[in-house]
Amino acid sequence: MIEFQSVSKLYDGLAAVDDVSLTLERGTLTAVVGTSGSGKSTLLRMVNRLVEPTSGRVLIDGADTASVPPAQLRRRIGYVIQDTGLFPHWSAARNIATVPELLGWPKAQIRARVRELMEVLQLDPDAIGPRRPHELSGGQAQRVGVARALAARPALLLMDEPFGALDPVIRGQAQADLRRVQRQLGTTVILVTHDMAEAIRLGDRIAVMREGRIEQFAAPAEIIAAPATPFVADLLGEGDRAFRLMSLRPAREIAEPGAAEGPMLPAGSSLAEALAEMIWTGRDRLPIAGPDGRAVGVVRRDAVIRAGRPEAGPE
Amino acid sequence: MRPAGVLRLALLALTAAFLLFPALFAPMLRPLAPPNMPVIYDRASLSSLALSHLALVAAAIIPSALLASALAILVTRPAGAEFLPLSRALVGFGQTFPPVAVLALAVPVVGFGTWPTLIALFLYGLLPIFENALAGLTGVSGAVRLAADGMGMTPGQKLRRVELPLALPLMIEGVRISAVIAVSTAAIGSTVAARSLGEVIIAGLNANNLSFVVQGGLLTAALALIVYEALGMVAEAARNRLGLPAEPASRPAG
Repeated sequence: MIEFQSVSKLYDGLAAVDDVSLTLERGTLTAVVGTSGSGKSTLLRMVNRLVEPTSGRVLIDGADTASVPPAQLRRRIGYVIQDTGLFPHWSAARNIATVPELLGWPKAQIRARVRELMEVLQLDPDAIGPRRPHELSGGQAQRVGVARALAARPALLLMDEPFGALDPVIRGQAQADLRRVQRQLGTTVILVTHDMAEAIRLGDRIAVMREGRIEQFAAPAEIIAAPATPFVADLLGEGDRAFRLMSLRPAREIAEPGAAEGPMLPAGSSLAEALAEMIWTGRDRLPIAGPDGRAVGVVRRDAVIRAGRPEAGPE
Repeated sequence: MRPAGVLRLALLALTAAFLLFPALFAPMLRPLAPPNMPVIYDRASLSSLALSHLALVAAAIIPSALLASALAILVTRPAGAEFLPLSRALVGFGQTFPPVAVLALAVPVVGFGTWPTLIALFLYGLLPIFENALAGLTGVSGAVRLAADGMGMTPGQKLRRVELPLALPLMIEGVRISAVIAVSTAAIGSTVAARSLGEVIIAGLNANNLSFVVQGGLLTAALALIVYEALGMVAEAARNRLGLPAEPASRPAG
């Protein structure tokens, strides 16, 4: 559990972070969204003491971070940054081994851990391991950066615009990988992004920041359905709200018994995908597949549209 | 072997031959010497002069490199940043002073011999090494530095594991520049009785023996080239060991 207690950071008398109090549950992924200069990166860096708060405290599992020496604290916390920050003179494998080396793990254990992580992140240890960062593609470098952050099995992972430098196709893959790895390991993640769509896609909860303050802290569906301030609504993009909400809910939830013509909707489809398919193929009713790939029911257009209204939202 | 390698080897072989068997080259230099005067410098062996010339350079440049690098490291630490202007002024001052002036000023204080030359070379060598080390250390990207901090490296670990290895090729380039300047400047040291190839040139000027002047001058130039090439190879090896591309290459797409 991460607690920010009235945390502020002043630079030359100006507040980059202004009296922020937040509690993040263990094992959740919290997305901190804001425009540049909103203080989101500063807030993140106060967790591992790359930035010291001017006032207030940050607690991890009840312990004040200020009571732990910075280097020791940081070795327990994973950290991923936008430009990967891989050490250019070390191989991918050595980069991943950074924190275990600092912690003085035995060599054999480090080697095994590096292999294991590379496999989890779908990097071939024999082919990619010996390469230098400048020999990696953007997506590979990003995954090496994540592997490096996870090497010493941190319970907490901080990510500062981790997908910002990736093209859209690779970004989607990287986001899905992060979600999978996060669920698999039960890591608590704080992810800073300027992209609301990314926050909605990945976050269990979203904290919207503006000028150093938290504008709203809520689950994605609630943020979409009831933006607390005009700024949050702006960030969402008013026009897309219905689609954003519909992209969060699985179509299976509104399936009815029955059958329909035409190709089946895949099992994990969202309401937005169901509607898009209806518009594209000119159908009012779609058969929907269950996890085993066989038809389990029918999704009707008016039900989809009704479910896209905020009062019908999941919260 | 590449042409550059052949040239290097030829230069080295020719220089070694001249130093070890100067008599072989006497016929070529004979027209430059006045009648009845020795063609090859004979008051000391050329090879021993070349060795003490190089020793003089090493004895000045090694401490110069250590001090300049230490200063560059100091001023790139958060606590030492305020010393940057002072350090710049200090090493810049060393560079502005013409070595001849340093020699002239040092002789009354430390006497004739090796010391005035050592002091001049030492001071003159500081600036290129300092500026290159500074460029190397500040050239480490912000993301890499942030990552080093974020991974939990202590400031000392960050310096040893990340900053110094990345700055090393540029630091060696700085030493290379200073060493080459020092080889040519060390010759002047013989005006205040330092043992170097300058002795041969000065003897030639005194005795109006052009042959001495030419062999002293050529050998000094050859030493400078050899030092330049040798340290260039060391810098290249340091770059290769880092596995960095020679030119900063852009990341492959995707």
